[in-house]
Amino acid sequence: MAMTDRAGLSADAVTFEGVGMTYSTATGPVQALADISLGIPHGHFVSIVGPSGCGKSTLLMLTAGLRACTAGRVMIDAVPVTGPQADTGIVFQNDTLLDWRSALANVLLQVELRRLPKKRYQERALDLLRSVGLSGFEQRHPYELSGGMRQRIAICRALIHDPHLLLMDEPFGALDALTRDQMMCDLQTLWLEQRKTVLFITHSIPEAIFLSDRVVVMSSRPGRIDDIIDVSLPRPRELRMTTEPDFNAYVQSIRQIFERRGVLRTEPGAERAQTLAQAHLKAPAPPGRP
Amino acid sequence: MTDQPRPTPYQRAARRRRIEAVLYPAGALLLALGVWQLVIVVFSIHGYLLPSPGAVYDTLTGQWRYLATESVPTIEEVLLGFAAATVVGIAIAVAIVTWRPFEKAVYPLLVASQEVPQIAFAPLLLVWFGFGLTSKVIIAFLIAFFPVVVNTAAGLRSVPTELLDLAHSTRASGFTILRKIRFPFALPNVFTGLKIGVTFAVIGAVVGEFVGSGDGLGYVLMTANGRLDTATLFAAIGVLVVMGLVLFLAVSLLERLLIPWHVSQRSAGTGQGTGR
Repeated sequence: MAMTDRAGLSADAVTFEGVGMTYSTATGPVQALADISLGIPHGHFVSIVGPSGCGKSTLLMLTAGLRACTAGRVMIDAVPVTGPQADTGIVFQNDTLLDWRSALANVLLQVELRRLPKKRYQERALDLLRSVGLSGFEQRHPYELSGGMRQRIAICRALIHDPHLLLMDEPFGALDALTRDQMMCDLQTLWLEQRKTVLFITHSIPEAIFLSDRVVVMSSRPGRIDDIIDVSLPRPRELRMTTEPDFNAYVQSIRQIFERRGVLRTEPGAERAQTLAQAHLKAPAPPGRP
Repeated sequence: MTDQPRPTPYQRAARRRRIEAVLYPAGALLLALGVWQLVIVVFSIHGYLLPSPGAVYDTLTGQWRYLATESVPTIEEVLLGFAAATVVGIAIAVAIVTWRPFEKAVYPLLVASQEVPQIAFAPLLLVWFGFGLTSKVIIAFLIAFFPVVVNTAAGLRSVPTELLDLAHSTRASGFTILRKIRFPFALPNVFTGLKIGVTFAVIGAVVGEFVGSGDGLGYVLMTANGRLDTATLFAAIGVLVVMGLVLFLAVSLLERLLIPWHVSQRSAGTGQGTGR
């Protein structure tokens, strides 16, 4: 709750004030979020990490104005959110591209839906695609492209109307590890170029630390803010930094929060793993091998 | 054989698959005709019970002008009924998906109405609309429109929530979202409905002609049956089969042209990495 005292400042791009969310289900009300107070300053990259079902995605939907909270309020630039926010770009875990549109046309979908002049944005769309390494693929259809390329198009689509706030819900969650690393680096470059306020939801602790100025750690059911960690690693950050002690110290501190909350349980598993490893050493070598 | 560049193994396999797709059913059909002829010879069956394939062929070639003339009203009924089923079916599906009260009020009734055999209404429709074209068009429409509604509605509903969330975040109107996202998304399902619908429309038109008509292939079937002229009966059925097939293929062709992006329409070679 370290940020509660700063939550009221209108200087923040996004402000959560005692936000709570309760769903009514067939088996009774389920509290997804409780007492979330947090401020996200302009131009900051803020990640939210937490276990599955801690309401991370709900928080993002509330920010976008696509769901309404049942307690407290969400404010963007000190204005309470009451409906869909036009000045945001959203990227989901699934790229949600339209199969019948080319890469370029998919980026321009956002322009068409917003009834902006298509001609004026055409050039910008091509620039964006180029900046994520997709020049030459503008006329390809999603089914001809890899998962990473598709997600790059989705990111371009979220940026085409130049929103101040970028909301990303586990955008790399469906990608393979190698592609994730590449996307992480590219997103950092993009952010350094454009300096948008980013709210980034992820499962991955290293991903959150690599990208963020600030990592918000959440506990589950109901989702609450457990801790807020400012990451002061120098930018631009490089992949090799992820194995260095400074970086690992951050990973450790977040992992320990999860262990404390019982989200991560290493102890019983570690014991068993050790027994198995010893048994393996004692066993005779398989025949036919030196 | 004048193949200029050597075909790749892949192309050769594709060509073989295409040839097999024609060869196998054609072979099976020829075999069936052979068995048919054999049964007639072995059991010496009379021509008025079961005509030989040769007799049916003679009727088809000898009376093609008559059969062609009688096909015209049937084709008209089918096309008009199917067109009405397409327009009304899609409109109702859109209303069901976009307008809650309409869904609640109409959808259960629509499903329940399918328990009533529409064919049972054929005599009544004849009383109401006479022996002309209208009554048959309505029967064809009634039978064909339900699969169009159900499949279109299912397609419109299958749009991922995230995509709709994204669309709503742009504050686009419901109509824009329907036009740019929901309807194109539903097209594969729409075509599934249309392919079933066009087949049903043929059934509807023929049934209408059975009940009361002065022309059409259904009328040909009824009169040939009265005369125990089984050769003409089989010939008319053959014409109906061809008509149904041509209509089905026409809808399939349209599907191929309109949704080349869909999985069902892609040839095996183009889909590279889907990444999912």
